[in-house]
Amino acid sequence: MTPINTELFAFAVRRAEEGLENEPDAFAADLDIIEALLDRCEIRVLPEDRFFVRIDVENIPQKIIQLRRKRCASLRAENGLQEGFDARAHTGSNDFGHTSADWDAVIRLGIFGLRERAASCAARFTGEEKRRAFYAGLCRTYDAALRFMARAAAEAKRRGKDEMAAGLARLCSARPSTLFEAMQTSVVYYTLQQFFDGSVLRTLGRVDSLFYPFCEGEDPAFIEALTADYLEEIDRFRATANLPFALGGRDAAGRSLVNPLSYRFLRAYRSARTTSVKLHLLCAECTPEPFLAEALDAVRSGRNSIVFLSDEKIVEALIRLGEDPADAADYRVVGCYECGGRDEVTCSCGTRVSIPKALEYALNGGVDSVTGKNVGLPSAGPIGSFEDFWKEFERQLVRLCEEAMRETDLWEERDAAFHSAPILSATYESALEKGGDLYCDHSAKYANSSLNAVGLATAADSLAAVRRLVFEEKRFTLDGLAALLRRDWEGAETLRLRVKNKFPKFGTGEEETDRLAAGIVNVLDAAVNGKPNKKGGVYRLGLFSVDWRWKFGEMCGASADGRRAHEPLSQNTGASPGAAREGATAHLASVARLNAAAVPNGAIADIDLHTSAVTGENGLGALLASLRTYFSLGGFAVHFNVLDLNVLREAKEHPDRYPDLQVRLCGWNVLFSSLSEKEKEEFILRSASV
Amino acid sequence: MTGLISGIKRMEIHDGDGIRTTAFFKGCPLKCLWCHNPESISFAPQVAKFKEKCVSCGLCGERRDPGAAEACPTGALVLYGRTYTSDALVDELLRDEAFFRKSGGGVTLSGGECLAQPDFALETARKLRERNVSVFLDTCGFVPRSVLEAAAPLTDVFLYDVKAVDPAVHKACTGRDNALILENLVFLSEKGCSLEIRYPLVVGFNDGECEKIGAFLRPLRGIRRVKVLRYHPFAASRYEALEMENTLPAPLTQKRDVENAVRLLRRFGLPAEDGTAPGRP
Repeated sequence: MTPINTELFAFAVRRAEEGLENEPDAFAADLDIIEALLDRCEIRVLPEDRFFVRIDVENIPQKIIQLRRKRCASLRAENGLQEGFDARAHTGSNDFGHTSADWDAVIRLGIFGLRERAASCAARFTGEEKRRAFYAGLCRTYDAALRFMARAAAEAKRRGKDEMAAGLARLCSARPSTLFEAMQTSVVYYTLQQFFDGSVLRTLGRVDSLFYPFCEGEDPAFIEALTADYLEEIDRFRATANLPFALGGRDAAGRSLVNPLSYRFLRAYRSARTTSVKLHLLCAECTPEPFLAEALDAVRSGRNSIVFLSDEKIVEALIRLGEDPADAADYRVVGCYECGGRDEVTCSCGTRVSIPKALEYALNGGVDSVTGKNVGLPSAGPIGSFEDFWKEFERQLVRLCEEAMRETDLWEERDAAFHSAPILSATYESALEKGGDLYCDHSAKYANSSLNAVGLATAADSLAAVRRLVFEEKRFTLDGLAALLRRDWEGAETLRLRVKNKFPKFGTGEEETDRLAAGIVNVLDAAVNGKPNKKGGVYRLGLFSVDWRWKFGEMCGASADGRRAHEPLSQNTGASPGAAREGATAHLASVARLNAAAVPNGAIADIDLHTSAVTGENGLGALLASLRTYFSLGGFAVHFNVLDLNVLREAKEHPDRYPDLQVRLCGWNVLFSSLSEKEKEEFILRSASV
Repeated sequence: MTGLISGIKRMEIHDGDGIRTTAFFKGCPLKCLWCHNPESISFAPQVAKFKEKCVSCGLCGERRDPGAAEACPTGALVLYGRTYTSDALVDELLRDEAFFRKSGGGVTLSGGECLAQPDFALETARKLRERNVSVFLDTCGFVPRSVLEAAAPLTDVFLYDVKAVDPAVHKACTGRDNALILENLVFLSEKGCSLEIRYPLVVGFNDGECEKIGAFLRPLRGIRRVKVLRYHPFAASRYEALEMENTLPAPLTQKRDVENAVRLLRRFGLPAEDGTAPGRP
């Protein structure tokens, strides 16, 4: 740590510990810490930056959260949840790492306007002291933010950054009124929330809709340059797991929101040399074909960090969860694929369940085959048919969900002790109306929590294999199969290969297995969606696994689909590795058979395509038709990875020749050269099978 | 009615318009030296053995029959040639129907030579047309006139191979005379059928035919496209797996050869283009 950061960290630790002893929640201490950081942090000006300065407080706010959480280090064990966590059967936590600001408010009001709005709330409200303290706290934090901006303006001026300095100086006392100032506000706000508030910001919002009103009268060449500079400056934050922005979507009346700036952003993104900014493309039936075609053309020419999401399905899922249609229509995609409505806090990555573990426990009477501990439920009784077995699996799965949510409840009940978010809270209308912090008081209109179920295809394929091996071919008793899996298929390698290579799999469009996967989603839907959390909100279901599938797989015994013990689970909502043997259309058709309206926290098909499948005019048309068809069948989101086997092989052999080669690993892009040898090998295997 | 199919490929985008599913009919009357679908030449089922996938489990009993292919756990033994009823084949081909509709795609009947199983192919085409599915028919043209006449009203586009105009060259490359093939092409053209011509360019074999092909095609009506396909020897492993004599020529054809051929054909007023997809034969 730098000397000043060492000093600031020591102050933050002291203040946080004092708060833990004497104060009801983290709010007052956080105000002091944020103010100190804003007033004293070092400011640098990078020659390549156009909009804002750089600061590096070395994650002090996040370190403070960790420090506070340490007070509850034994929470899991004290509540009988440690063994399930160790086995990666279920995990729960609070999540301060996946948030979206109310970007409309941020860009419309600016930092100055947000402060004014908080002040007017304070002036209107004369009631209880806690609420008054909340409003006063917001004003104090935003005053400090404005002082910080003035300091930044002076530093920018000193370094000859006149455009930056002038914009900042104006934004200290006015709302943004030009395109430059609107974009500058976006970068300033990101800095404030990400580095000082400590609630990790995982989207820049729908930038085309946000910035378009400021484009009137601006020179097209200026807009073009500004758009590119904005994306590149954002990219230089090197945000963990990427920082997304969104384009497109529909308004509340169902009209397309694609505008001329959408195209500009798309083109700028295509040509910008960014590696950590990713794009969420919000697609609807009314989205103009040329816009989608341009985006897909970017994908096939190597811009593989674009996720296509169905606007219609997202809105449907959020309304189904109980959100007002207007809030649902104004959704944002937070992080990888998680969708939350306006005034919603999603906490989208706190809670996880391994679906294949439920199967493991159904086979073994609740005993974990890796840790040997009793994690699941004891067997409910004899199993004479596949239907009985399904019921047992369902019972175990529901139990894992309940345990995961129980743990998250325990943590979230303590949110107030860990973290407050004055900078973020000031952007939420509901927080201002209720006069409370988003975390300390759970003041969001939708103070929700989310559970992600990992390994759907591994579980569906395994259930199909159990049905065939035990109940149709009668090759094993259930106990016999369970014993074989505990031995990791020892002595039965040819059978394992047959199951792996020849048995029906989810992702091939084969109805029986697809039905099993859809059945699992229905069980999860009933167990998770709408279940009350401890914050006055509800739980939401997600079906993505990102890189958790490695750790969850490592702790998972052999599964009946031919997977060996400790191998990774299936990726996100798609087929198991190598199982999508019938190609992309079949894979998409399988995923579209799931009830995506039951998955507001995100369901994503990762479609790997060989370069030859997407070339030429017909290749582009085929991509477009695949996308449209998938969404018309009911799909939620899709990501196309265009792979060239030879390039990947060469990049593995000679990483120095391909330092910039990017691949999409799971929910975000990574440099191929940064992958472990094992991950590289898996990627190459995937490419070989497309 | 039943027929023999060597394979089905979904999401095919290089054999016609839109997203298509291609059915490869088993058996072909020609023996092209450069054939990329050696598994579709014989009219009988065959089991190929891809040795690199074999784990010597012994489940096949060292046999090479359909039962052994079924038992093989790794896919080292592959059965080419499954019997389908036309209804079963249509069901299988329509699994991607939703994708056909959005993309303007459909089904391509290919091979081998699909019209070498004429009744089965025509019944399949008829059933697809009854479902309003686009049918493209990929043919070498070496089929009785009556069969083509019956196929014409059931076919949206004929993908028609023209390998050589000179009979001697054609015979040397394919083992057959080309008089019937060229006459059939003229017949389809005169009948008003939509035609996409495929000219597989194999340097050292039929590259000298380009100008003659251009002159032959110039007066024909209904040609919507002429695709020059660049030869690649990618099928070598399948010849080996099928224990067939590998007749594949040396890979001498370069991209510039295709570009030259396209240029030459365009001089005849033909809508010629490079039909080679990157990374594919």
